[in-house]
Amino acid sequence: MRRGGLALALLLLAAGVPAAAQPLVVSPGPEAASVTVYRNPDRRDSEFDLDWLEGYALITETRTLRLPAGESVIRFEGVAGGIVPVSAIVSGLPGGVGEKTRDARLISPGTLVDAALGRRVHIRRTNRRTGKVTEADAVIRSGPNGIVLQTAEGFEALRCTGVPETLLYDQIPEGLSDKPTLAVSTTTRAATTATVRLSYLATGFDWQASYVANLAPDGKTLDLFAWLTLANSNDESFVDARANAIAGEPNKVEEGDSEPAPVSSEISLRCWPQGTTSDIPYTVPVQSVGGEEYYEQGGADIVVTGSRIRNPNLSSSSPVTVISAEQEDLGDLKLYRIPIPVTVAAHAQKQVALLSRSKVPYERIYGATLRAGGEDEPTPAGILLRVWNTREKGLGLPLPEGNVAVFEPAGGTMMLAAETPMRDRAVGEKVEFEVGESPDVQILQRRVLKKDEKEQDEDDDHPRPRVYEVEISNARALPITLELSLVNYANAKIVKPSHKLGLKDGSRMWLARVPANGRATLRYTMKPLPPKPEPPDEGDDDG
Amino acid sequence: MRCLLPLLLLAAPAAAQPPAARPISPVGPSAQGDVAITIYNNDLALVQDTRQLAIPAGLSRQEFPDVSAQIRADTVSFASPDTGIVEQNFDYDLLSPGKLMEKAVGKVVTIVRINPATGGETREQAKVLAANGGVVLQIGSRIEVLRDDGLPVRVIFDQVPPNLRARPTLSVSVESSRAGIRPARLTYLTKGLGWQADYVAAFDEAAGKIDVQGWITLSNSTGTGFENAKVVMVAGSPSGQNYGGYERGDSANLRRAGTESGTRERLGDYYLYPLERRTTIANAQTKQVSFLDVQGAPARKAYEYRASWLETLADPRSVDTVLRFNNSSGGLGDQLPAGTVRVYVKDRRGDPQFIGENRIGHTPMGSELAIRTGAAFDVKVKAVVEKREKVGEKRWRTTMRYTLTNARPQAVTVDLSQAGLDWGWEDTRIAEESLKSERFSSDGIIWHVPVPANGEATVTATFDTRY
Repeated sequence: MRRGGLALALLLLAAGVPAAAQPLVVSPGPEAASVTVYRNPDRRDSEFDLDWLEGYALITETRTLRLPAGESVIRFEGVAGGIVPVSAIVSGLPGGVGEKTRDARLISPGTLVDAALGRRVHIRRTNRRTGKVTEADAVIRSGPNGIVLQTAEGFEALRCTGVPETLLYDQIPEGLSDKPTLAVSTTTRAATTATVRLSYLATGFDWQASYVANLAPDGKTLDLFAWLTLANSNDESFVDARANAIAGEPNKVEEGDSEPAPVSSEISLRCWPQGTTSDIPYTVPVQSVGGEEYYEQGGADIVVTGSRIRNPNLSSSSPVTVISAEQEDLGDLKLYRIPIPVTVAAHAQKQVALLSRSKVPYERIYGATLRAGGEDEPTPAGILLRVWNTREKGLGLPLPEGNVAVFEPAGGTMMLAAETPMRDRAVGEKVEFEVGESPDVQILQRRVLKKDEKEQDEDDDHPRPRVYEVEISNARALPITLELSLVNYANAKIVKPSHKLGLKDGSRMWLARVPANGRATLRYTMKPLPPKPEPPDEGDDDG
Repeated sequence: MRCLLPLLLLAAPAAAQPPAARPISPVGPSAQGDVAITIYNNDLALVQDTRQLAIPAGLSRQEFPDVSAQIRADTVSFASPDTGIVEQNFDYDLLSPGKLMEKAVGKVVTIVRINPATGGETREQAKVLAANGGVVLQIGSRIEVLRDDGLPVRVIFDQVPPNLRARPTLSVSVESSRAGIRPARLTYLTKGLGWQADYVAAFDEAAGKIDVQGWITLSNSTGTGFENAKVVMVAGSPSGQNYGGYERGDSANLRRAGTESGTRERLGDYYLYPLERRTTIANAQTKQVSFLDVQGAPARKAYEYRASWLETLADPRSVDTVLRFNNSSGGLGDQLPAGTVRVYVKDRRGDPQFIGENRIGHTPMGSELAIRTGAAFDVKVKAVVEKREKVGEKRWRTTMRYTLTNARPQAVTVDLSQAGLDWGWEDTRIAEESLKSERFSSDGIIWHVPVPANGEATVTATFDTRY
């Protein structure tokens, strides 16, 4: 055991020290941490993959260090594996920060050979028959792709002989470490204890808002509840951390190639050509320490804080939660703070209540968009649930982007009516949940020919006005409201509508009220306009 | 640990002692001399390595181990007093077991057979006849294929062929008029060394101030470490490929290029950022050194939105949040090398939180910068083409409506621009507008739209265009 301890100390001394002469202060981990999680900007309404989280986090750690007088190097261990080292900020050092370094030469079979190139190592051979072990000094002359050794006897190739043999090293060569390591140098006037703050951005985090909208049996109001789900795919846990999530769209630039990829490799043994009759397959103990880490599937730990309900999608009414995230403005973003310290565990997901509002009035609206002057078979109308994000209408709070699961009462239980994405909605905005199509409400558009009119009489050069009809049929036992947009791409004007047409997003819109088990019809005329000019070509010197 | 324990326990003398023990000499530390490195932005660095070499009189061959593994061998130059270059070589014939055997064809090697039953060793001298898909040996009067029977056989070579090396090696053959130790300077370009700037900007919106720390980030992926080097960074990319012109990317953040001169050292049109102390740049290392620390420079936040031509949005879009500051003597007071600016603001508890980042290009002193940090959650624009009608043979009249909403408790001003006015014809007119615009170019106009707190503002405009 004592020897083991000695070896460990050697390893620590030898690994990852930017300048060997300066004393090394190793900070094993944070005493307190705060984790602010940012969404993956490119993930829209898809669920996140717990093994491949593409959001990020700002981690701020507090660490207490005992600093010697004079120059020293502080090595920060236990930082999140996804650290973006160039974003690291160290504050609170009495002597300030000299230089920050991040070393990415990792201990691996290949880098051991590479670092030991030209140095003295040992070769150990074991006699298969007698079990006798022989050791000799050797110098590595080439590697790691096919290793040539120089021994007292001459030159030999490693493991091309069929004899069990392996290399032994006296120590880990200087500059190799088990993981990419962040270190800073500092100069302190007198030995002291300092509390420093280390903050950095790290990948391998993500969060999302998941909404549950429960429609009340009265058909007029809904209860809106949302979970804030945080996830961490790093190997490090942050115990009793202050956790926050940021909604909105902070700009993130692509990380360039500014950082060298971690250097690690395996040994690939190549020998001289061997006759096809004599190829002896030998097994090479291949170990790989890569920069990429793959995680075990299915081991993710899902923690629901403040509630016993594990899956919101199965709940029939808004869960009862005892804590809820607190929202504040952060510049032009929204910050959600979990009010109690929580543990952001490695490879784990955590949920807390984001918001909850009950008795929010909603309108059930049917909608359809038709091309003016087109002919359409009966098509089902879309269903929208419309709420207004205002205090008077029961909401009035920022709604961060997320998926909405809509539940409707049916036969005494709640049924999932729809799952629909929602973008960021500010206070005062209209919020619409698209919940599918209604086969009961169908829309049809057709051209109406006058008594003596025939389609084949048309003359393309002198088009005549055409009359169209839109018919909405309602098979529901309730009167409905339908917003029909007529998008006009034709070179014609909509005139003489049989109902008053409004304007929505630059298109003509008919707000149709269709009686229960009834129909409503709109008739309008497309009046042709003079022919359009050819679309302009750039560089045409016509003007 | 696993390596050490057996070593300590198994110190028993080896049974089969080699017949003739020869001294083997491991190499010492790096062969580099006094190293000076100049790093440019475009994955290019100039290395000057001055070594003390013992050069004999007459013709000799000098090898230079420990040069960058990504050396551009065609750029090497060598200079030493009283010597002339005969030729420069870059040998990349690497030593491997296969090469070792190929080069041993026709030579005699020692083979050691291990008896699988007894473990006993038998030594024989063998001549390598061929190494084509299998090694054919002549042992005495017999011919056999190496390890054709699958039994363990060690092959021991007397020497390594002289031109096979562990790593690509640079050598220079020189003619010297005298013998003696003297400095020899090796200069070459290499890839794998690069640098950029990283800025930490702490923004205090209420005070309208920004604290900026600038860090030089240099990284080494050459495969070689450089010890105790003098390092200077050059803010520039000396390459004919990106001479002026288009597609520079980061220029949108530079609103007005400055005309002030800084006090930093220059190299032609480039600025130099020397490191104060000599430093060791290990392979696969990223190193950051501070070069700028400014407190309380003026800065403000702005909202911008650029509508494209004939844009109709069904859903309102968030406007851009832009941080505006300058680097004239009253601002950051320094030219800024290209890099990433990360912006932080304090939350209600006083903890700094990240609110977005963006890149800047090399920015001369005195410039006005506007970097987009993200989108505003609460400030949105909805642009709608209200009407589009033909008014003449080749003229169209387009009415746009822009609805701006603000859910913040403070009034804001949005710089709303309409682009796409110039499509090859410069005679676009603004027939009517509800707010006075500025025409910033033939292609676009801009309105500075005040939007009340928790309120809404509308701008309408009618454009008279050829298309």
